[in-house]
Parts: sequence; C-alpha cells; structure tokens
Amino acid sequence: MKAPPVSISCQGLSLRFPVYGVDAKSLKKHLAKITVGGRLGSSHGSTEVTALSDVNLELKAGDRLGLIGHNGSGKTTLLRALSGAYEPDEGTIEVRGHIAALLDLNLGIDPSATGFENIRLRGRIAGLSGKEIDERMDEIAAFTGLGPFLAMPVKTYSAGMQGRLAFAAATAVEADVLLMDEWIAVGDADFQQLAHKRLLSLVERAGILVLASHDTDLLRLYCNKVMRMEGGVASPVTPIRKLDELLAAPADGWRQQTQAG
Amino acid sequence: METATHMLRTGRRGTLFELQMALRDLRASGQRIDLAWSLAWHDVTSRYRGSVLGPFWITLSMGLMVMGIGLVYANLFGIALRDFLPLVALGIVFFGTISGTVTEGCETFVQASGMLSQTSLPMFTFVWRTVFRNLINLAHHLVIVVAVLIYYDYWRVTDVPAAALGLAFLVLNAAWISMLAGIASARFRDIPQIIVSVMQFAIFVTPVFWPVSRLGRHHLVLDLNPFYHMLEAVRAPLMGGAVAPHTYLFLGGMAVIGWTLTFSLFAYTRRRIVHYL
Repeated sequence: MKAPPVSISCQGLSLRFPVYGVDAKSLKKHLAKITVGGRLGSSHGSTEVTALSDVNLELKAGDRLGLIGHNGSGKTTLLRALSGAYEPDEGTIEVRGHIAALLDLNLGIDPSATGFENIRLRGRIAGLSGKEIDERMDEIAAFTGLGPFLAMPVKTYSAGMQGRLAFAAATAVEADVLLMDEWIAVGDADFQQLAHKRLLSLVERAGILVLASHDTDLLRLYCNKVMRMEGGVASPVTPIRKLDELLAAPADGWRQQTQAG
Repeated sequence: METATHMLRTGRRGTLFELQMALRDLRASGQRIDLAWSLAWHDVTSRYRGSVLGPFWITLSMGLMVMGIGLVYANLFGIALRDFLPLVALGIVFFGTISGTVTEGCETFVQASGMLSQTSLPMFTFVWRTVFRNLINLAHHLVIVVAVLIYYDYWRVTDVPAAALGLAFLVLNAAWISMLAGIASARFRDIPQIIVSVMQFAIFVTPVFWPVSRLGRHHLVLDLNPFYHMLEAVRAPLMGGAVAPHTYLFLGGMAVIGWTLTFSLFAYTRRRIVHYL
C-alpha cells in the first residue's frame, strides 16, 4: 500500500471575523436595528475584522513550518483554518493527510469525569475508535504517570496533574499534519523531559508540522521553514536560516507587495 | 480515520455549492455517528455521576411526577385511574422527549464551541448528540410506560410497530426543531428564553395531562398543534387506539417542510455558526 501524499495548500486565503457584539446577539436590538435601519445607515451590516488576508502557502511532506508574529497577527487563526474549523471567506485551503491540532490541551476535558474517561473522550474526538483507544490506553496511562489517580475525577487533580493527563491524551494520536500553537510544556521538570521526547517522536512521524511560537530558538530547533505574520498578512515562506533577516526586515516590503498583487 | 484525510475549504461559491457542503457535513456526521453516541452517553452518565441510583434517577423522578399528576387530575376530572394514568404517563414521557430535544437544542452549538472552533468535526454530530441524549433519557422512562401499560392491561406487543413508527415521526420532527433552535440560539441569545416559554405554554395546550375527549375531536387546538400530532402518533397505538391518517400526513408534511427550511438555513449559516459562538 502506497502512503498517500501529504500536503497543505492555501491559495488567496482570506478570513474575516464578523464581530457580533453583546448587543448584536440580542434579538430586540436586531429587530430595533431593522426598524430604524434606514436612518442609521452606518450600522448596516456587522463590523468585520480581517484576520487573514490573501495568504498563500504550499507545504509538502518533510516541511516543518514555524509561524512567527505579534499577538493578534493571525497565527492561531491560520492554524484553526488549517484544522478545518474556520471556513475561508475567499480562497481555498486544501489539506491532504490526517490532521491533528494541538491548539488547546483542555479540549473536551470534563472535570467531573475520571482520568480514564477523559482519555477515552479525547480520543474519540480526535477520531480514534473505541478499540484503538483500548489498545493505546495502557501506554497513555503509563505515560501520564498518574497511576491510581486515573480512576478519580479530574477535578481532584492538581493543575500539573491535569496538564499531564491532557498532554498524554492529546498526543496519543497519529497525524500526518500536526498543528501546534506554542510548544506545549507542562508538568514538572521530569515530565517536561518526557513530554519533549514524546512531542519530538510525534513530529518525526508527522509529514508536516506547523508550529506557531514567539520563541526563535525553538523555531530554529524544530523548523526548517518560517513564515512571518503581520496583521493577517503572511510573508513568503523562508528557509529557517534567514530567520533573522526576516525579522529584521520591515514588514512593509512584502505587505505592500502582497496587497498590490 | 479515513474521513479526515482530505480536507478542502473554500470561500462561498454560490447556493448550490453551499448546499453540497452542508450535505457533506451531514454525510460526515453519519460516518462518525458513533462519536455522537459516545458524547451523548457521556452527557447522561456525567449528569448523574456520584449519585447512588445514577441515571435511574431519570426513571424515579419521572415515576413520581406521573403518579402525582395522575392521581390529582384523575380526581379533579372525575375519571377512572385506569383510563387516566396511562394517558398521563405516556403524555408526560413522550412530551418530555419532544420538549427536552427542543429546549436542549438551544445549547447544541453553544456548548460545543470549544470543539467547533478547533476541529473539523461535522456540525450535525452535535445535533445528533442532543437527539441521542434525549433518546437515552426516553429509554429510562420506557420502564414506567411499560409498567403502567401492563398494570392497566393495555400492553399488546402487536401495538409496538405502530408506536415505533410514531416515535420515528416524533424524533424526525423534534430533531429539526432542535437544530433550528440551535442555530438561532447561537446567533440570538434571547431565543432559548423564548423557546422555554413556548414549550411551557405548549405543555398546557397539548393534551399531555388532560383527555382529548374534554375538548371534543377536531378542535383547532388539536388539529393545528404539531405537538399534539407528534404525541398522538406514539400514544394512540399504545393505548389500543388507531392513529388518524391526517396525523401521519401532518407529521410527514411537517418533517419535509421543517427539514427543508432548517437545512437551507444551515447551508446558509454553516460557515458563520462558529463565529456566532
């Protein structure tokens, strides 16, 4: 059996968030708006924030892309769009390969359920069948190092223990495309060592990694390519050795280029 | 695992395309229907976690309510318990399924905002989750239904197929109302309050705990009341009666129109729902 090709392709990807204020969510306000709409004029339609504009990205197997940029520059939005949660307003996103998004470790964690139940639930959400979870349960349980605590409700855990559980459950997936928002570091020093190894092996098995981070050392360590985000506009994909130049360069250059083109 | 190996997302490409994408979401939810079951089971077990009786609290509290209302109203109306208690038991149980599916539908997408904003899980999965959760509750209530029917000697196995057909109609209709409520509630936060009020009103104008005969057949409150038809399609066969053909007609028409409306709205708002949350 031939392994299917793994790739990510974004063309002219634009994504705008409509901002529904607290007001706009109330039906009364909405109805009121319709009745007086003619006069107000300017409030016609909802406010939109452009989160990504005209992002082009081509990645193939073996690519390890780092995303760098200020807060609110669109890194997380791009990751969420790649995970399939956000639909583009313009352009296309095409991803081949099984996607695993490690964006929020606490996704689907139910504090009143036991550790075992949470591992199961998280696995189901990630697309594993009940049988596949059973097969991996011992390994995941051993990795958490929580032993008998796994049979207790998660709300009785300390923050560090919760972190261990969430990390173990979230990384128990096989992925062709791995999306990460910040390198996940949880637990005490010992666990961080283990977590680090586990993430590395996950990254090695994955065809493509997209990692958003502010940490340039980290990006240098794991990525071979880098893309800078600035106000929703992406720089061209650049080899990692040119990271310093990319960061030093004024963003205006490629921003204007992109906007003109 | 095969389902998510190719993902294509694009901007709007016209109505037909949006409908196709909505259909694809529906299909994907069908392929992962076991996920909806797992989530629904998880919801039910986690609600009763730590209690001694667990989910059988659902059965017990429903049993008490049926007894209470049955005994009081039978006296008030001056009707024999044998005629009245089964009516009330079936009424409360099946109306509870309708009302639960619809009111909990308001939370369907709001509750799932975490998962919707970072995974490509089909949105329909969460609609089925709400529906399945209410079916699991119903399964616990059926103990009461069967017990009452057997005790008052109404139980005939031959009635079950007709009742099952009625239940299918009930669920088919409750599901679209639930989904419609879910989409509307995500956008407008007043909707859940409106829906709770409407369902509270509906329980009194629907013959849940009063006999139809008190109103006379063919009354507008009955003929135009969708909840009456949904209830009657299940209750009548179990009590040894026949379902009027116009009830099936009404429910069939309502399902077609309702699903067309809901599905169109879903196709139109699908890419926006995650931003509403």
